[in-house]
This record gives sequence, structure tokens and C-alpha cells, in this order.
Amino acid sequence: MKRLNKQKLMQYAIVLFVAVTLNFMLPRVMPGNPLALIAGVDVGLLTPEQRAQIIEDVGLNRPIFVQYLDYWRSIVTGDFGISYRSDRAIVDIISERLPWTLLLTGGALVFSATVGIVTGAWSAWRRGKKSDLSMLTGMIALQSLPSFWLGMLLISIFSVQLGVLPSFGAVAPAADFTGGAYFVDVIKHAALPMLTLSVLSVPGVYLTMRYSMLEVLGEDFIRTARAKGASETRVLFGHVARNAIAPVVTFLAIRFAFSFGGSVIIETVFSYPGLGRLVFDAVSGRDYPVMQAAFLVFTFAVLAANLVADLLYPILDPRTRSD
Amino acid sequence: MKNNRQRIAVLLSALALIAAACGTTEPETTESPETTAGTEGTTDTAAPATTVAAAAEPVVVRAAITGGEATLNPYTYVSGFPGWNLMMLQYDALMQFDLNGEPQPWLAETITPSADLTVWELTLAEGVTWHDGMPVTAADVEFTFKYFVDNAAGRFARDLKGVESVVVHGDLGLTVTLSGPNPSFELAVLADVPILPQHVWESIESPTDHAYDISTNIGSGPYMLTGFTEDQSYRFAANPDYFRGAPEVDELVVVVFGDDSGPLAAIRSGEIDVIFERVSPEQIDLLDAQDPIDISQGPEFTTQMINFDTSKAPFSDLAVRQAMALAIDKSTVVDILYLGAATVGSPGWVHPGKTVYNTDVVAQFDPAAANKLLDDAGYLDTDDDGIREFDGGPMEFEMITNSSDSLRLRIAELTAEMLADVGIKVNVASVETATWEQAVWPGFDVNNGRNYDMAAWGWSAPVQANTVRIAELVHGDPGIGFLNLTGFSDPEVDAVAEALAGETDPAVAEALVKELQVLLAERVPFILLAYPDGAYAYNSDVYDGWAFVAGQGIVSKVSLLPESGRP
Repeated sequence: MKRLNKQKLMQYAIVLFVAVTLNFMLPRVMPGNPLALIAGVDVGLLTPEQRAQIIEDVGLNRPIFVQYLDYWRSIVTGDFGISYRSDRAIVDIISERLPWTLLLTGGALVFSATVGIVTGAWSAWRRGKKSDLSMLTGMIALQSLPSFWLGMLLISIFSVQLGVLPSFGAVAPAADFTGGAYFVDVIKHAALPMLTLSVLSVPGVYLTMRYSMLEVLGEDFIRTARAKGASETRVLFGHVARNAIAPVVTFLAIRFAFSFGGSVIIETVFSYPGLGRLVFDAVSGRDYPVMQAAFLVFTFAVLAANLVADLLYPILDPRTRSD
Repeated sequence: MKNNRQRIAVLLSALALIAAACGTTEPETTESPETTAGTEGTTDTAAPATTVAAAAEPVVVRAAITGGEATLNPYTYVSGFPGWNLMMLQYDALMQFDLNGEPQPWLAETITPSADLTVWELTLAEGVTWHDGMPVTAADVEFTFKYFVDNAAGRFARDLKGVESVVVHGDLGLTVTLSGPNPSFELAVLADVPILPQHVWESIESPTDHAYDISTNIGSGPYMLTGFTEDQSYRFAANPDYFRGAPEVDELVVVVFGDDSGPLAAIRSGEIDVIFERVSPEQIDLLDAQDPIDISQGPEFTTQMINFDTSKAPFSDLAVRQAMALAIDKSTVVDILYLGAATVGSPGWVHPGKTVYNTDVVAQFDPAAANKLLDDAGYLDTDDDGIREFDGGPMEFEMITNSSDSLRLRIAELTAEMLADVGIKVNVASVETATWEQAVWPGFDVNNGRNYDMAAWGWSAPVQANTVRIAELVHGDPGIGFLNLTGFSDPEVDAVAEALAGETDPAVAEALVKELQVLLAERVPFILLAYPDGAYAYNSDVYDGWAFVAGQGIVSKVSLLPESGRP
């Protein structure tokens, strides 16, 4: 057990190191220049001396390796400096944004897991029947929808045509809600982006669950369960679904991490103030320090999701326990 | 089993952390300092907008912009439009543009230049105060002029560098002496530079990397920034003591959208009342047809053009540039792509709506003449594949455009088709904005050269507004022609452009501008396609006092002031 943990830990360390290095490199190999953001005013009107001064002020003239070490220092100390674009502390910005993204991705995870698992189990149980096949076709069609298109469609239906849900933001601008009214406002604003993210995740969960169920259905112990007289419901939930769930959990963990990436588009379409939109704006303007810090959060999200899957697996499937 | 419990404990505590983090946003996002105006009637975002406010009810307008503008002070605003415009709601310049786009006395009540435009006597308006109640004095103006020069504020510092001395007389009088005559002083300084309060800014030593919050935003303007949530919204409260009269709109809420389709949906659903961005041509009629949305439309000074690197073959050949200019039908671009909501580009750069426009200079479209020019210059289609050859290869070039602008992409595609008709093959490549900028204008410094063949490009309004400054665009010396992105160099053009920049006699200057337009039309430093109209959508039930400033649009304090207080 100890040995295995050390090995796992080592793996995570290597992945972290590579990811952090890439996070540092990517912004710098992209063409473009953060000067416009740093200067804050029409950059073409600066004299060459003023440009040089600004580059020096923010330390972009230092050797690349020194800047790289500086990035590691910021990771250890948690001080990521000031955003070129907004001139605010990056730690403050990220801690403002991250909860919104977690709300969307977390909500979408719960929703898509519930719907995906139930429909996947149902579909597998009725495999080959008309209802299974039409469900399968429907899910594949759903999976191929582009996310921005779906988002705009939902805005057009629920905000413009029906006028029942807000089309942008996380809270009503300048409304000063508190308590219950604030809670309702947040839910109303999160509804459409969460729905968009969910709809895009459901097919994956469904397909994984259905496939996993079909595998388990063919196992000997299912025949045994039926032979000993267990009810159909008990076989479905107590035996098949329980054994089929493990791969779905892994899928969900990875999906959760990936939906951070998906939030870039969704949050831009819905003008939602989460981490995804922060990344979009940071990349558009080459805000290096914000890109580095936000990519780091993504890196940790992926690693954490994997860790959760690693920890959950032995609980769900006793055969994978090491002790 | 113990292991399992530990694992579950880890998971549960992780979930608890996430939940706690979500909880902490509540006080942060609802934070908004007390405002002078109430917000009743705007809280239900999904409901249609309320009807015209009765006399007693505060007028609240919700505006949309695309992309955040940080804390909107003179060192943090991001875009020249609408960032500068929103920043200037809180500040005043010494002059203010009127509806004709002409600067009029504002914070400075009287402005008397000497005959040679080097000495400017100014008297500030009496009784003007900063938002914190302190008086606005001539010493603040002196401080502002020096501060912007000392602290690398590009737009504001450029012309202020020419200020040799500022002498303050009493509380309100100033004598500004320039090191040389500057005909642009009114446009580029007096009507452009926000006057800062010395007592707020003197303690900020390094404004480019200072961490700001909105407490810095003390100005003398008609609005005070009372709330800011980054990339979500700004809240402006009317300054009831504004020296030109209290603004008509009591509270202005500016919502920050992530992309430009968001505001279009939100104004239809009644969630916002005005869009502070230009509406694309195909949306104008659609929006206008919907009640109560109206459109405020007029000519603006932004430009849409085709650039090419004139420092390399074949674009260094005048015949090729002239042929391309003749092959592109600018009227078709305006009719098909702008649906008429634009002015056809003049080959002499100057907008036809300006008084100094030379009426003899008009866009030509003549593919036959273009073909003849190319034939005569030896660019022949030797292998009969429809593409001319030069230098042993086909005349095939890449035209880059920025992917965030779909209209510009269509412009690039349409012009490529027109050029194909005269045997020049153009492949349009749509690239990300920063990449496109880096290729056309590496490091925003023309000394770095250029990395493109052809590019669809556009300049913001101030470049066109200041006609005496054409040298910046076309002069061969990068020190003078610092916006010369096509590497254009022509001694004759240089001489006229230079003379124009220093000319203080308006009559002589006008003659020089007209001469320069003829020269540019002939030498083709770039191809000007169109000057797109500004079109702004607003809900007329909520507020209909929007004033279109010629060349600049509706986003200015003029739109929000009572008739009596407008310049």
C-alpha cells in the first residue's frame, strides 16, 4: 500500500511538473504581445523608450529561465502578481471567478450524471428494442451539437421569445438582492448555461453507462442472481447497475475536469463571470500572468478529478482494492 | 474499511470546500456602495423594460458593452472605443466635442491661442468641483499635463510632450506655451486629455503597474463610478452638482458581455436599454422593426481598408497598387456588405463629410484599365491558368484578417474575388486578433517591419478625425509615420505631409490637405474601402435623448446631459 502510494504520488508530481512547464511556455510561444494590455492606452502612440520602460517594469525583459523560476515561486507562495488587463491582484480575480465556474460545472455534473445514468441503465435494460435504439440515436445527435450554437438557441427560446430566464451574467446587474431573492437570482442566471453544459455531457454519460451495463448483463453472476429468484428491479439496481457504475464514475471525473475547458465557450456565450471567460479574455489580450494562473487551476482540476477517481474506484469495485 | 472511510472523508471535505467557496461570493458580488439613485423597476432582468419614467422616478439606463474595461480610469481603460468614452463620463477635458464633432470650450471657459498657435491662454469655468467636493483649479491642469508626460500615457502624452511651460495665474488662469506650433492641440490635447485631480493622483508613483480600485475614480464629470464588478457591470450615479447641469439619466448601469451576440439578444428581451457598440449592418433593420427599439445612425470616422507591404515586390510597384485599387469596386462593398450603411472610401484617405475633403478625389472602378496597367507593366499570365506571373511564380498572395470580425472577413473574401478578375489570386486567412496585429504591426512599432503580404485592416476614429496628421499614416520615416503599416515611402508625399503637420494658417493647411489627397489617390499607400456608419440600438421608452456626435457616435456625456447643458 505504501509503495503504491509513493508511486502514484510520483506520477502526479511528474504530470504536475510537465503541465506547469507547458502553462508557462504556451502563452509565450503564441504570436502576439501583451504590451497593449500593460500600457492600458493606445499603444501605437508610445515612443520606443516608453515601450522598453513598460516591458522592464513588468519584468518581461528578464531571461526566460528567470521568468520560469518566478512562475514556480508564485505557485509555491500563492502570489501570482497583478493582471495586465485589470491591474488587480490575480489571486483575488481567480477566487472571484472560480466559484461561479464550479457552480456551473458542478451543477451540470450532478444533472448529467443523474440523467445519463438513469437513461443509460434503462436503455441497456431494453437493449435492441425500439425505445433503446431511438434513445441511442437521439443521444448521438445531441452529442454532435456545437456548444455555442446550443447556447444561442436556448437564449433565443428562453430569454428572447419566452422572456422567462435571463440571457447573461451571474446576477442581475445593480439589483442588490440579498438572502432568498439573491439565491433565486443566482439560480435563474445559472439555469441556461448549466443546462447547456449538461445537455452536452449527458450523451457521454449515457453511452458509457449503457455500454458498461451491457458488459455486466452478460456476466455469469447476473444469471446466478436471476436463477436464485431475485426480482428484476433488484437485479437491475442491486447487481447490474452497481457493477456497471465504476467506469461511469471515472468518466464523470474526467468529464468534470474537461468541462472546465468547455466553460470557456459557454461562459463567453452567456457572459458568465467564471474562470472560462477569464481565460478567453486573458488569451485574447495575452495577459501572461492571468493565463499562467488560470491554466494552473485547470491543471489542478484535472489532477484532482483523477485523484477522486483513484480514491473512489476501490470503494465501488472491491476487486481493485490493493489490501 | 478504515481506508474507505478515510477516502470518503477526503471527498466530503473537498465538497465542503467547494460549497464554502461558492458561499463567499455572496457578499462580494452584492457589494455596491450606496448610490444616489434607486434601482426599482430594473431588478427583474427577464421582464420587459418598464415604460418611460414619470417625473419623480429616477431614470435608470442599462447599457451593454463587449469586453471589460478594467476600472475605467485614464490608466486602466482598455479600448479606444468605448473605453475612452466611458472613462470620459467621469472626467472632463478642457474642451468638449459638439454634435458636429467640433471642439467647444468646456472646462476651460475661454481659450485664446496666439496667432502662431504656440501660446494658449486658458480660463477655467468657475465653481467646478471634483466628485469629492474639492475645487477644480488651474494647478490641477498643470499637474495633469506633467503627470501624463512623466508616466507613459501614450495617447495623452504624445502632444503634451510639446508643452514647454505652463504658468498658473490665480485659481483659474493658465498660460500654456508650446515648443512649436501645433494645429492639433485642440483635438489631441484640449478635447482629449482628461483633467486629473492632483490630490488623488500625486500619491500614485507608478500608474502603469499600480493596483487600482474605484476609489481612484474621482473626476469632475457628470457621472461617478459607484460600483464595479470585474467583467460583469459598472454602476454610474449622476453627479447632481455637475457644472453644466445635472444629467438626465440618474443611473447608468453598464453590463459587460462576453461576445457581441449577447447584447443583441438582451436588448430584444428587454434586459438592457442601449448598446454602446456599433450594431452590424444586417441587424440595423431587424432591430429597428422591433418596438420600442430605435436606431441612432450617422457617419463615423472609423475606416475599413486593404493594406499591403509596399516595401516588397510586387506591391512596391506603383502599377500593381494602382491596378488593385482600380480592380476593387468600393461601392459594391458598401452596397452588398454594409447594406448601404457606410460611406464609400475615398482614395485620398479624407472622409467626404469633412470640410477639407477634395471633391476631385473619388474612388474609381475600372477592371479593364487595371488589366491594361498590369499587362503594360509586364505581369502576364504566361501559363494561361488565369493567374498572372511575376518573378517566376504566380501572383498569389495571402490576405490576413482577424477572426473576431465576421464582416471584415466577408470584405476580405469579396475583395479577393474582385482581384481574381484581374488575374491576382488572393487567399484569405482568418487568424486570431493578436496574431493578425502582430503580423501587420509587430510589437505595435513600425520600426519592427511587417510580416504580411496583404491584410484587411481598419483604424479607429481619432486617426481620421485629425486630418492634419496624415503624415503619421504615410510618412517614410518611422519616427513621423509611426502608423505607416504598409511601409509606404514617397519623398513627394513626405514633403507635403510634413508641411501640413506644421502649418498654422488654416487656408494654407486646407490647400495642402487637398494636394495630399490627390497625391495619395495616385500613389496608393493602401486601399480605402469604406467608412462604416455608426449605428446604435436603444430602447426609446427608457431614454431617447441620445445625441449622435458626428464622427464619434452616441457614447458621450453629450447624450446624457440636458439640452441646456450641451455644447
